[in-house]
Amino acid sequence: MQTKKTIFRSRALPYLLLAPQLAITVVFFLWPAGQAIWQSFLRQDAFGFSTQFVGLENYIALFHDPSYLNSFKVTAVFSISVAGLSMGLGLLFAVCVDRIIKANRAYSTLLIWPYAVAPAVAGVLWWFMFNPTIGILSYALRQMGYNWNHATHPDDAMILVVLAASWKQISYNFLFFVAGLQAIPQSLREAAAIDGAGPVKRFFTVVFPLLSPTTFFLLVINVTYTMFETFAVIDASTSGGPAQATNILVYKVYQDGFVGLNLGSSAAQSVILMAIVIVLTVIQFRYIERRVEY
Amino acid sequence: MADIKLTRVEKTYPGASEPSVKGVDLQINDGEFVVLVGPSGCGKSTLLRMIAGLETISSGEIAIAGRVVNDMEPMDRNIAMVFQNYALYPHMSVRQNLSYGLKNRKMPKAEINRRVDDAASILQIGALLDRKPRALSGGQRQRVAMGRAIVREPSVFLFDEPLSNLDAKLRVSMRGEIRQLQKRLGTTSVYVTHDQMEAMTLADKLVVLNAGRVEQVGTPLELFHQPQTVFVAGFIGSPGMNLWDGDVRQGNLVIDGVEVARGVRAPDGPVVAGLRPEALSLQTGGDGQFILSYVEELGSTRLVHGHFNGQPVSAQMTPDQPLDQVMRMVFDSADLHLFDAATGARVNSAPAIDAASTPETV
Repeated sequence: MQTKKTIFRSRALPYLLLAPQLAITVVFFLWPAGQAIWQSFLRQDAFGFSTQFVGLENYIALFHDPSYLNSFKVTAVFSISVAGLSMGLGLLFAVCVDRIIKANRAYSTLLIWPYAVAPAVAGVLWWFMFNPTIGILSYALRQMGYNWNHATHPDDAMILVVLAASWKQISYNFLFFVAGLQAIPQSLREAAAIDGAGPVKRFFTVVFPLLSPTTFFLLVINVTYTMFETFAVIDASTSGGPAQATNILVYKVYQDGFVGLNLGSSAAQSVILMAIVIVLTVIQFRYIERRVEY
Repeated sequence: MADIKLTRVEKTYPGASEPSVKGVDLQINDGEFVVLVGPSGCGKSTLLRMIAGLETISSGEIAIAGRVVNDMEPMDRNIAMVFQNYALYPHMSVRQNLSYGLKNRKMPKAEINRRVDDAASILQIGALLDRKPRALSGGQRQRVAMGRAIVREPSVFLFDEPLSNLDAKLRVSMRGEIRQLQKRLGTTSVYVTHDQMEAMTLADKLVVLNAGRVEQVGTPLELFHQPQTVFVAGFIGSPGMNLWDGDVRQGNLVIDGVEVARGVRAPDGPVVAGLRPEALSLQTGGDGQFILSYVEELGSTRLVHGHFNGQPVSAQMTPDQPLDQVMRMVFDSADLHLFDAATGARVNSAPAIDAASTPETV
């Protein structure tokens, strides 16, 4: 590829042109990140009168804190469930739409809609439907003999947030899987049909392996999504409760820092999250840029 | 081993106003190599895909080895197909590609290995068995695709333009290999191509299709020497046949008021007259009706293009024959193919091989 090189007559001009983007990066990303790192080494007294440098103490305390370790576990369960559910359903819908010829555009459009719903609204929506007093789904469950109450049952709460977070993400996964399926030449499926593979076998031995680049890409994206972008869903539905059952890492940062006002610990938690994001991003760029290409 | 019988087979795609394949009747005998040839959109691939079971049959009947297969899945028809883009499974090694169809049929492992190794040695791809398709050249992929068909030991091979993605030289050599392989295995084969040269060289029996209909069925030489329609006359043979609009008047062929041939055996009326470029020679010497436009040098022969009363003419000549701006056209009236101008059907009887003929000079 040929890149066009522009020669600037003045040395200042290129820097000037870059300045707005650099300013945004510095003000909104680098400075806060630096602040968080600095903050994570400090401890403040309860009234904010004095601040003291404590080194790694905040980190050490975190890893001895059972509620923080529990939050890790909750996050893992939450991420895996959301990624599994939303990718599974996204793939299922994509395969269904791929099979129909006539109205697949209409179905695709309808299936993409949930993605346009704001996370907080999605959270409220599901919270309404499952509301133990007025929700239609909790009513239906009660009729079937299950006493649904996500305000008191930890498992119910987890199911609620998983559903609310997955529901939105299905659209996204669906879109990528449809594109992935359409990229598989029809003749491969035909060859497999002649080779004696039924539809199910065809899917698992030919189609799904060829979707693996898409699947891997979506897995990374979904994990990132559930870990960092589901704050609104949690906040609007369970607020991390009951008894920390849905208190995922990113929500705990907010709770400890802005509700509990334990700024040092909260900052240390965000630094850890930042490290996780960096690792995920590296994985993403490393493996997805040169993904499994056939 | 199987024969294939097509009875009034039709295909209408949903939403199409006209069928793509119109009432095709065809008998393919056991062990025969049949080539379906025609321009793009003539329905040849659709016909092949209906035999394979990849397209539904709108009406009519297809029977393989005496069994009607209309409602049978592709896997139950005991066929193997070679696709234009090879359709190799990209995530499987060559060996896995070859054995996939056998594994699906629950064949014992020892038998699978024997067949894969046999096919690999026939096609000389033994060294490639552990490679993935992306690490193969076009010709090697083509061989693997053939191998996948061979290992199945099916009763019918179906080929869907398998050579069209190869370069010209490789295409010619693969053509020869396919021909030899088919003779050796004796498996009934149906081969689709738009390349009439490929069709001529491969076929035991040639089926020319046009706009969803069978124009003519016969051996390559029958079609070459006795095309039954204008379409076949123009399609088969390279360089293409000269086709002129003219009239038959009392046994004479008249083109634009010029009497070009006497004693043609055809009823009076407007005709299309066909003459192969190799049956036409051009003579220098001042007068004549042929006006030279340009010359294509082919090495051992040269193609001379020009026109005669505004109608395009080409003649195949040897390079040692002299050329001039204006020449006389010399041909044998027995070499003329005459077709009804309205229906396109042949109107003169076949030129008898030993009939006394008179050279015509225009």
